[in-house]
Amino acid sequence: MTKAVNKSNRTNNTNRKTEFWQKLPIHIAILTIAFIWTLPSLGLFISSLRPRGDMLSTGWWTVFWHPLEITQFYLGNYGDVLRSSGMGEAFLNSLTIAVPATVIPIAIATFAAYAFAWMTFPGRQLLFILVVCLLVVPLQTTLIPVLRVYAQLGLAGTFLGVWLAHTAYGLPLGIYLLRNYIGALPKDLIEAAAVDGASHLKIFTKLIVPLSMPAIASFAVFQFLWVWNDLLVALVYLGGTADVAPVTIQLSNLVGSRGQDWYLLTAGAFISMIVPLMVFFGLQRYFVRGILAGSVKS
Amino acid sequence: CQGPGVNGDEDRKQVTILGVMIGEQQEKIEQALAPFTEATGIEVVYEGVDTFATTLPIRVDSGRAPDLAMFPQPGLMADFAREGKLVPLGEILTPEEMTEAYDQAWLDLAAVDGTVYGVWYRASVKSLVWFNPQEFAANGYEVPGTWEEMMALSQRLIDKGKTPWCLGIESGNATGWVGTDWVEDIMLRTASPATYDQWVAHDIPFNDRRVENALDIFGEITQNEKMIYGGKVGALSTPFGDSILGLFTDPPHCYLHRQGNFIAAFLPADVDDDQVDIFPLPPIEEEYGLPILVAGDIFAMFNDTPEARQLMAYLASSRPHEVAATLGAYISPHKNIDLNLYPDRLTRKQAEILNKAEVIRFDASDMMPGAVGTGTFWSGMVDYIGGADGTQVLNTIERSWPR
Repeated sequence: MTKAVNKSNRTNNTNRKTEFWQKLPIHIAILTIAFIWTLPSLGLFISSLRPRGDMLSTGWWTVFWHPLEITQFYLGNYGDVLRSSGMGEAFLNSLTIAVPATVIPIAIATFAAYAFAWMTFPGRQLLFILVVCLLVVPLQTTLIPVLRVYAQLGLAGTFLGVWLAHTAYGLPLGIYLLRNYIGALPKDLIEAAAVDGASHLKIFTKLIVPLSMPAIASFAVFQFLWVWNDLLVALVYLGGTADVAPVTIQLSNLVGSRGQDWYLLTAGAFISMIVPLMVFFGLQRYFVRGILAGSVKS
Repeated sequence: CQGPGVNGDEDRKQVTILGVMIGEQQEKIEQALAPFTEATGIEVVYEGVDTFATTLPIRVDSGRAPDLAMFPQPGLMADFAREGKLVPLGEILTPEEMTEAYDQAWLDLAAVDGTVYGVWYRASVKSLVWFNPQEFAANGYEVPGTWEEMMALSQRLIDKGKTPWCLGIESGNATGWVGTDWVEDIMLRTASPATYDQWVAHDIPFNDRRVENALDIFGEITQNEKMIYGGKVGALSTPFGDSILGLFTDPPHCYLHRQGNFIAAFLPADVDDDQVDIFPLPPIEEEYGLPILVAGDIFAMFNDTPEARQLMAYLASSRPHEVAATLGAYISPHKNIDLNLYPDRLTRKQAEILNKAEVIRFDASDMMPGAVGTGTFWSGMVDYIGGADGTQVLNTIERSWPR
């Protein structure tokens, strides 16, 4: 008995060992790529903790030559950015823009994706092709015509105007992504629900939305990041005055007319990164659940 | 003509301004505008954007022009004036009031096809050479009064194994403008102001022999690896704001640096007042004297409202200029500004150089069509400093001039 256990343990161990050696190249490759990928961010982060003079005279990697010297690190850049007037208001503005500009397109895109995937109506494919075509329209070409309409409707300079603009710019990608995901859901499931007498609305709310959480969450992250990092759309439709300017405009103004305070951007980048990171980690559990869903038969 | 502002705010009198000044500069201009609001009760909403040249046309084309715009160069203003979007200054001020406020040279710069449209707010003086007087005193160098003396000093420094010049032209997607300033400055010193104007207006080709002559003189500095700290590679890769720092290292990387007054914003905090001084870039040909290359910010009016008119008149008065002068890092193009208002010695000296100048000319690249002025002229300078042949560089720029 004990012998058998020992033996199986040993084979287990050797199995694990060979597996480890087999996978080692992959692991090394992944780690190397991950390292190269993060290197610029790391450099930026270390730079944000150094005074301007140091940034100019030596590279950020030099901190590793004497890493224990705490005095070489400096929080002044973060202090300067946070203390700059209007930063708190800019964060509020950014949230005011980004939250509705993420929620509205998700809602519309999910409905539309369901309709394109599971409802039969004439011209469905044509409409879908049209939506996909919109993906290649550069948004810059729409700025002046849309702003003209906004000026007549009194929407220019209002948050509603920016929400609608971001919604429209985000929808083509959202519908495309979600339609492909929702279209790949098992047909039997939806037919069974229909046979049981579920209406389209019921199928949508009880089946499609819960099953599509991973796709919805990834689109939410995309859309939120895009809106959060946007400078152009906000600047054109809202303007850059302090009462409406988002963080991006505030940060770009921080460097001064001649760009003389460029070094503040290092700290500014990390401060503006906090919110998208929170959104990402907040939605991460949905990705994981989505990947695991259906992997094990219970 | 569209109504000002959005409905419902009609009883609140306000003027909107779109400008290029952001950050600290924005706070200063808001302070300079504060007396206007105090006196009239009209609210001034200033919006500063660093993407001014793209934002303003979008706003204007979509019918949401600001009441006033502060242009960083007269070229863009001229475009709008020719489209009939701007209100001529003559409808607000009499010619006497204008000449009382500004020298004719500045009024000429504010005019488009003979009609004055703008009110100058800020001037930049570009023809300045920065140096460290302590180093000059310690080594017995003298401030050069002519180009020959300046080049002799440079040679003397090279003979001693030192590097005379710091030059950095890197400036992101605007890399090269430092080089264009150099060529313009030399052009002004080797050709008549009329020739300079012809060059700007493309009445003489860009590859004219006089332009080539100016480029060759610039080349005496850039094409000699010993002249510039870091050589060609150093000049091309050093950010323009950092290159001046070489004056203050120990031992100094270089002894001379040509740059406009705005470079003061990049001076390190630990540089003492007696470590930095300026002299005007010396004359080359005696007959053309000491001309000064300038740049500046100019206000012009899009929406003809009573409030906007009042603000334009206020901007042409000496009051906002005086307030801004006391706040520092600012030179006024206004005639009636007491030099003693400037808070520091260097700014006072720059204003004095500007006032004394008999010939002032605006930065040529700012006045040329965008394809050249912010395009091939910049990239041409990068090529030239990188070692390309001067004649070819000028031919390329000439070919790119829009027809």
